[in-house]
Amino acid sequence: MRVSPLKEKLAAAGAVFRERHGVGVVSHFGNLRAECGAVRDAAALADFSFARVFTLPETPGIDLLDALVAGNVPKIRFGRVLHTFLADKNGLLAADCFVANNDQEFVFICESILPDAELDALLAFGGKESPAKDLTASHAVLSLDGFKSWEVVKKIFGADIIGLPYLSIENYQFAGGPVRFIRAGKTSEFGYLLIAPVKIAAQLFDALKAGVEEHGGRLVGADAHDALRVEGRFFNIFREGERVRDPLPLGLQWMIDLEKETFSGSAALKERRAAGLKQKIIGLAADANCAALQSGAQIFHEGRAVGEVVTGCVSFVLNQPLALGLLPLELAFSGLQFRVGAPGGPVARSISMPPIMPKSLAVKLDEM
Amino acid sequence: MSELINQTIARRRQVIDTFKQELIRRLNLAYVPEDLHEDVSLLGSGLGLDSLDALEIVLCVETCFKIKIPDESISVLRSINTVVDFVIEQQDAKGGRA
Repeated sequence: MRVSPLKEKLAAAGAVFRERHGVGVVSHFGNLRAECGAVRDAAALADFSFARVFTLPETPGIDLLDALVAGNVPKIRFGRVLHTFLADKNGLLAADCFVANNDQEFVFICESILPDAELDALLAFGGKESPAKDLTASHAVLSLDGFKSWEVVKKIFGADIIGLPYLSIENYQFAGGPVRFIRAGKTSEFGYLLIAPVKIAAQLFDALKAGVEEHGGRLVGADAHDALRVEGRFFNIFREGERVRDPLPLGLQWMIDLEKETFSGSAALKERRAAGLKQKIIGLAADANCAALQSGAQIFHEGRAVGEVVTGCVSFVLNQPLALGLLPLELAFSGLQFRVGAPGGPVARSISMPPIMPKSLAVKLDEM
Repeated sequence: MSELINQTIARRRQVIDTFKQELIRRLNLAYVPEDLHEDVSLLGSGLGLDSLDALEIVLCVETCFKIKIPDESISVLRSINTVVDFVIEQQDAKGGRA
């Protein structure tokens, strides 16, 4: 099993680990409510070293990556980041990806549901002549998220960080080492990914941890991020992505450049798109004490099984369970009532997503 | 399905279709309406629209539905579905469909 270079440090801080697709990840630090709250109200630090990270020189990286991912790599402007996905030859999801155009190189970050060897085979970057460098073992990836997370990074890296637009990359120095710094985030609050060589990663981790704690935040695990992604309606490859696999019912068409001729899995995807959608996912909410809104639960409408829950969480902002359900197109609308688990089971209502107003959306960093 | 549910769906579908078509036309998006999931984020992630595009969305709603989105109501622009919720709510407040 691949483990984080920060594993010992995380364990010492109380992390509870689990295995996900051959990779050890931090599940939580013992208090899911506090971890979710830290992101919504303050700042939170998570180890994202489960992600695969590669760099490729601008040439031939631009063509290699464009032949793989669904988005359009040549259209990525210097300093900007493309959020897209990697599909297998059947057009089924393999990884949720960021592709960053960063000063003579492309940085390629994959949250993958394939074991490392299978992802390597799909990417086909391998071989002695490969121009790609796999940074996964030599670097740590840290995710800093939260309403006040910009204050933490501003103190460490300087005020110009505030001017970075969403989905952009910049290079910084920390303790004599390089840090690739991406403004991204999948919680709907401010978010940053920091990619640092192992030799400075522990020191960077300590500095960021001290920063989030100064702002009332804490360390968080993957369970909190899973819940926050549902609440903020950010795609989660490890939940609904893994369960559904087909990007089209998941509503990921925005990640695809439909005018691009080929990419991994494009033929199968285009065929399914031409045939038309039959199902899609929609948000669901239930009463506070409802425990039925769990992944895999059947969804009923007028006594008939019509779909299933593909991911669920408890929203600590709304104090109620939320979920995404896969439903036939004719029923995939907000404002309807369903039953979960059995024809007479608890009520779930279809809702418009995202159901919360993140605090960060009301803050204009570029005007501060 | 019951008549009430059919009516609810038909009304929502009509607002969604109108809004999506106008959104695609105004912003010159390379999609057909079926490609746009109603929960896709309009600003930032998702469609990645900027503040100028946000103005277009506001104008789009005004043109299609004769409904104004107040300046302070940025939360309405979170997704297509939240815009549609706002339109239906405003239509109901006016006592009928525009």
